[in-house]
Amino acid sequence: MLQCHAKGCDDPAKNFPLEISDFTKEEIEAEKNKDFLVRMLPKLEWNALYTTAVKLGITGLPETLPSDAETNDEFLSALHTVLLEVHIKEGKMTCNGCNHVYPIKDGVPNMLLAEHEI
Amino acid sequence: MSTKFLIHFAQIHTDFRIAELESLARLNGINVDLHKGSPDLSSPYLVVELQSIDEAKKLIERSILVKEICEYWAEGKTYEELFEKIKQNPERNMLYKKDSFKFNVDVFGGSNTEEEKLRKINNFSFLPFKGPIDLKKPNQEFMVYENYGDVDSPGGRSSEPKVIYFGRRIASSSRYEMIKKFTLKQRKYLGTTSMDAELSLVMANQALARPGTLMYDPFVGTGSMMLTCAEFGSYTMGSDIDGRQIRGTAGYRKGINGIKANIDQYKLSHRILGNVVFDICQNPWRAMDLYKDSGWIDLIVTDPPYGVRAGAKKLGRRNGTVEDYSFKIVDGVENHKRKDYYPPTVAYEMEDVVVDLLEFAAKMLVVRGRLVYWIPTVTEEYQLDDIPIHPALELVANSEQPFGSWSRRLITMEKIREWSEADSKVYNTNPADSENSSRCTSSTSLSGLPNNKPSPAHRNFRARYFSKFIRQDSPATPADAGN
Repeated sequence: MLQCHAKGCDDPAKNFPLEISDFTKEEIEAEKNKDFLVRMLPKLEWNALYTTAVKLGITGLPETLPSDAETNDEFLSALHTVLLEVHIKEGKMTCNGCNHVYPIKDGVPNMLLAEHEI
Repeated sequence: MSTKFLIHFAQIHTDFRIAELESLARLNGINVDLHKGSPDLSSPYLVVELQSIDEAKKLIERSILVKEICEYWAEGKTYEELFEKIKQNPERNMLYKKDSFKFNVDVFGGSNTEEEKLRKINNFSFLPFKGPIDLKKPNQEFMVYENYGDVDSPGGRSSEPKVIYFGRRIASSSRYEMIKKFTLKQRKYLGTTSMDAELSLVMANQALARPGTLMYDPFVGTGSMMLTCAEFGSYTMGSDIDGRQIRGTAGYRKGINGIKANIDQYKLSHRILGNVVFDICQNPWRAMDLYKDSGWIDLIVTDPPYGVRAGAKKLGRRNGTVEDYSFKIVDGVENHKRKDYYPPTVAYEMEDVVVDLLEFAAKMLVVRGRLVYWIPTVTEEYQLDDIPIHPALELVANSEQPFGSWSRRLITMEKIREWSEADSKVYNTNPADSENSSRCTSSTSLSGLPNNKPSPAHRNFRARYFSKFIRQDSPATPADAGN
């Protein structure tokens, strides 16, 4: 859901998704809410989510959004884990457009821009 | 058929109580007229009409400003009048003939000794209650409320009760438990601007925080509201330009793990999704472009920095050039590539923060989603049209917490339609503002004050706070003090 927002880095094909590397991850159990997931479905860019999940070593998401996504409990359960339970504790997010590296420290990404990027 | 109920409020934050109940009515799909006979805020009692006992329970269950709700039986200026009215409904009185019971006398604006209370309770012995008295777990609890009035009541305080209410207790609110749970006194991680428990909870109610919704605080600080909104069921997330506040790595209460310490303390990790460091003026939300009309966040709940205790900041350069800062070679690398590089910031005026916040909310909220935020105002000059407006947002409530010469107001707005590019043509901030504006986007002023409003009562709030609110047109006003 976060994209590179540096000035001039506005190619939507490159400034998203940010590429996660050098990471440690953890899973924190989140409350399940099927309605919430269904409501989020149209807001997801599936390919970006899928490739990021694969990079994080998470299997279980299908390569394409299933047509019965809204009623497929097994799918929604996998989506729940990826969206709400996987947290990156430490790592880097790199923009494929301008190579800005956004660090993640103590589970909190730092998305501040340098002065020449605003 | 509707039934009368008596609500007993805590006599605090009185300007917030009707707004809170309206929000809770909305949340539970309850139709109730809370403005009947313009409620007297100097009294903690309010009679309302509801469809059922179940509705009464639901209405106040989550309330922070209500203490309890009773089935209304009668009221009188004297006990004689009260007793006469109670006796007019013998069928109802008989319903509780066999139940164990207890009486309470609650006094507002006066006092009763225990003997006086007992004597008053004994005067109710005409009621046909034959069940045992049980002070611990009674089947029924009857409430006698004496209102002597307060100094700010019409007619002031009196030596005799002005009105006495009688009712059967239905339910208590979550006020006591919730405030106890979230009190700052017990909270592990705090900052100088942490919102107190009571108002953080009221804010969550105003925003209709509930399961299956997404809450966002763009000035998350130490995260008070993300805790209370999560308590009421929302998934929550926050951002702040100051990562030290989130992580708790500087200043007060350093080294206890920041917001995460509180998430663990209240066991809310199953609903709090996370925090990110960025400047809301330069935010990385992809949805800002993709879904700016339909939105994707259900509630935005925030306490923007006033610039009093914590001055608002945004990224920017006050003077010098980019070369001086970003590209300067420090320790052999370009400054902005250093590990502990922190970009320069400039002041972000309250007035601009709020207008930007409205524009952000108009884009990011779903339709019917709510924005709940604080704005400080100078009491003497405040006018209703000081509150910024946006054509896609409707003002739902404006509740004042007074501090003498200034107040802060909790503003609740609801997105009533999709954001549209055309909104920019309807409203403008005052053209004179644009020169000195610290707004995120200077080119399109899509929201703001009604046209030609000269100066809102929150302009230059910090400077005026420190100059003790001497009128701006007064010759004694120090020029731009405190900036």
